[in-house]
Amino acid sequence: MKTAVKPPGSDTARPTDGARPAHRLPFWVNQQLGLLVLIVVLAAVFGTLRPAFFNERLVLFPLLRDVSTLTVVALAQMVVLSIGHMNLAVGRMAAFGAFFAGFGYDRLGLPLVLGLVLCLVAGAAVGALTGWIIARTGVNSFVVTLAMDFALLGLVPLLYSACTENAAFTTRPAGLAELRSSSLADICLGPVCGSPAVPQVAQFTVLALAGLAFLYYRTRTGRELLLTGANPAAAELSGIPTGRRVVLAHALSGTLAALAGFMAAVGTGTFRASIGDDFMLPSFLGAVLGGTLLTGGAVSVVGALLGTTLVGVIRKGLDLLGVGLESLNIYLGCVLLLALSADRVRTVVSYRKVVRST
Amino acid sequence: MSDVLLECDSIVKVFPGVRALDGVGLTMTAGSVHALLGENGAGKSTLIKVITGVHTPDDGRLLRRGEEIHLRSPLDATRAGIGVVHQERNLIPGFSVAENITLQNPPSRRGLVDRDAMTAPAERCLAELGLDLDPHRPVRELSVAQQQLVEIAKALYTESQVLLLDEPTASLSPQEAEHLFDVVRRLKERGTCVVFVSHKLEEVFAICDTVTVLRDGRSVLESAPLSDYVQDDVVTLMVGRQHSVTDMTPRTVDPTARPALSLSGLNTAAGHRDVSLDIRPGEIVGLYGLVGAGRSELVKAVLGLDRVTGGEIRVDGEPARIRSPREALHTYGIGYLTENRKEEGVFLEQPIVRNITVTVWKKLARFLGDISSRAEKDVAQDLVDRLGIRVSGLAQNAGELSGGNQQKVSLAKWLAAETRLLVVDEPTVGVDVRTKHAFHELIWELARGGLPILLISSDLTEMITLADRVLVMADHRIRGEVPNDHDYDNMSGQIIRIIHDRAHPAAAASNGTP
Repeated sequence: MKTAVKPPGSDTARPTDGARPAHRLPFWVNQQLGLLVLIVVLAAVFGTLRPAFFNERLVLFPLLRDVSTLTVVALAQMVVLSIGHMNLAVGRMAAFGAFFAGFGYDRLGLPLVLGLVLCLVAGAAVGALTGWIIARTGVNSFVVTLAMDFALLGLVPLLYSACTENAAFTTRPAGLAELRSSSLADICLGPVCGSPAVPQVAQFTVLALAGLAFLYYRTRTGRELLLTGANPAAAELSGIPTGRRVVLAHALSGTLAALAGFMAAVGTGTFRASIGDDFMLPSFLGAVLGGTLLTGGAVSVVGALLGTTLVGVIRKGLDLLGVGLESLNIYLGCVLLLALSADRVRTVVSYRKVVRST
Repeated sequence: MSDVLLECDSIVKVFPGVRALDGVGLTMTAGSVHALLGENGAGKSTLIKVITGVHTPDDGRLLRRGEEIHLRSPLDATRAGIGVVHQERNLIPGFSVAENITLQNPPSRRGLVDRDAMTAPAERCLAELGLDLDPHRPVRELSVAQQQLVEIAKALYTESQVLLLDEPTASLSPQEAEHLFDVVRRLKERGTCVVFVSHKLEEVFAICDTVTVLRDGRSVLESAPLSDYVQDDVVTLMVGRQHSVTDMTPRTVDPTARPALSLSGLNTAAGHRDVSLDIRPGEIVGLYGLVGAGRSELVKAVLGLDRVTGGEIRVDGEPARIRSPREALHTYGIGYLTENRKEEGVFLEQPIVRNITVTVWKKLARFLGDISSRAEKDVAQDLVDRLGIRVSGLAQNAGELSGGNQQKVSLAKWLAAETRLLVVDEPTVGVDVRTKHAFHELIWELARGGLPILLISSDLTEMITLADRVLVMADHRIRGEVPNDHDYDNMSGQIIRIIHDRAHPAAAASNGTP
């Protein structure tokens, strides 16, 4: 920047009031696009090294089933991140919800759908309770959800041991086994059949994604959630019922966590207390990689899917390459760091570019 | 010419889409007070950030006693003897005065902080400023003005030769500001160069020796002796054209109309006692008082954010019980333009369109609660045009706008909601001369259109320009009412007398009941 570049246009045309033109950064800075490119490239690399990576039934099907579940987990976290809160109890809420589904099938003899509804209602209730405590007492969400996590950590196994003999519900209602193993290939519209790689449980993920996208991008409630996250004081003074929005966000988070718990239980075939044990870290990973701010006020629904997919692809690819579990986690850490720094590098480079053209 | 401490030589700083500084020069001489003036967005804050090492300049040189220096961080600047007191307070509330003063270089013994050795240097710095503060008191117990002075003491401790004060009097009462000026004069005597940034020209002319005026990122007047200029010259230089105050169209209020808002004998948990006031359609009622008199707190209690313990609120003649700002907005049509726009007024990291339409989403929402983005944009665009808000697009984040434009966005939200009563709290703090005048016209025109307005302000000139009558509040009570005759001397005399007369018995009473 040693040469004195004339500003574009005459001097009088310049904004005199500090009204800067919005930062129009080039399209390739888009974080979601970057993730998509990274996923495609990594999949191609893994596929070239191990052609088995593209085996639809043995590799892609389980991969997508995991991604489906963890995306819902990431969405559960994203909803509370949108109001600037956290949900550390996301895994335990999943276990809590799954317990009610199992209880419904085993004790009440409910059909598949009603059991799912019971599970979601239980998740919503425990989430709403958490949100209510936060809104009412003003205690930090970190603390409240941590406490909730501990409470459920004790409560869920107690419920299982009170209601079952070997700490798991194994009754399977009609349709559960199909839900577990069927893919789009089993659903045919005449001669046209779906791909055997896409599991049927992905329907829940698609529904959750579509629902949240509608909520955040189209509705009043979604906007109010974001503004509550961006600045709670200003939101309250602008007439947004911030207390209710906090309860709503946590209830939604609980519902989505319960849905993820149900999907995980479907995947393993049994309803047990250990469901959701490993949900917490992926929930943050997927949401934050996707572009959701930890401070609240900005979410990316598609980003949660892409972030989770990226992690899933890396995990599966390294697994196929024969990397052991411990070293797999080291590699995973490195790749994620690279992925996030690549994003930062892109932003900085494009920022410089825009500055230079000014 | 005396000793030049620090010199900026054609500094250039570029942000995406804007040349914030475009060849700015500034010469800081020992033992002088240098005014740095300019409208919002002229580049004052950017220049301060370059001098204090926050931003690296894209071109130009910084010279310290003739030698070029490169500041890579605020710490580098501190080491080079450049101190700054920002508009916001930057102290650690839980630490004591002495700990805060010595924070950047705490006296230590064998790698451990030596608390006892802190007191002496802290006391020395405080004494040099003529301050009588206990160095062991935690900073959170001090008033805003005292905290500011502690920050200056902190700059003394690091042996700052150049001290930048960014709008230091924005949140001070006149007496506190006077004390601050004494401190500035002391600093000047000991050979420090104080750079003084302020929108209040009276202050600038009272204490500054030299002046630099920025406009659109350039220095239109560079380190010139202030005595060669009068206020009007400086305003012309800042604005870039002849600045003239036009008379506003006269406005009449029907004194028999039913009040839009009426408080009678209101007591609140915040400490208000027996507060009564009426606001009629088309009337601007001023609520004047010093900082801490309880004006904003009164409004917050009326909006349901604090408990009302007695008395009655009537909206349009009907008794009202307002439980939340939401109810105030949707049921009673009361809007509150907050005093603190960054914390309570605008959503800095959100687009302008959301900032404006937040109050009308309820109306715009369709069957499923979804909002047509076109309807939303229409509402926002209409207000952006009406208020003349300078934006590059509705999707721009509000935080990228200048202070005056942010304030307009904040107002636009209430106009969008078509409120039937507007409370305007310190509308023009930190807003430059031109925007301030535009804002006054805007408020005046709203009232002319029949909107009742409660104006809270500590700016007496503003009060006298706008209000129909001025209520004076001190110590959470209304002390008197003065009908406005638009004569500054007469009005200020009456108002100050009301505050002053009652100040003594009030002080005695509050001493009696701790």
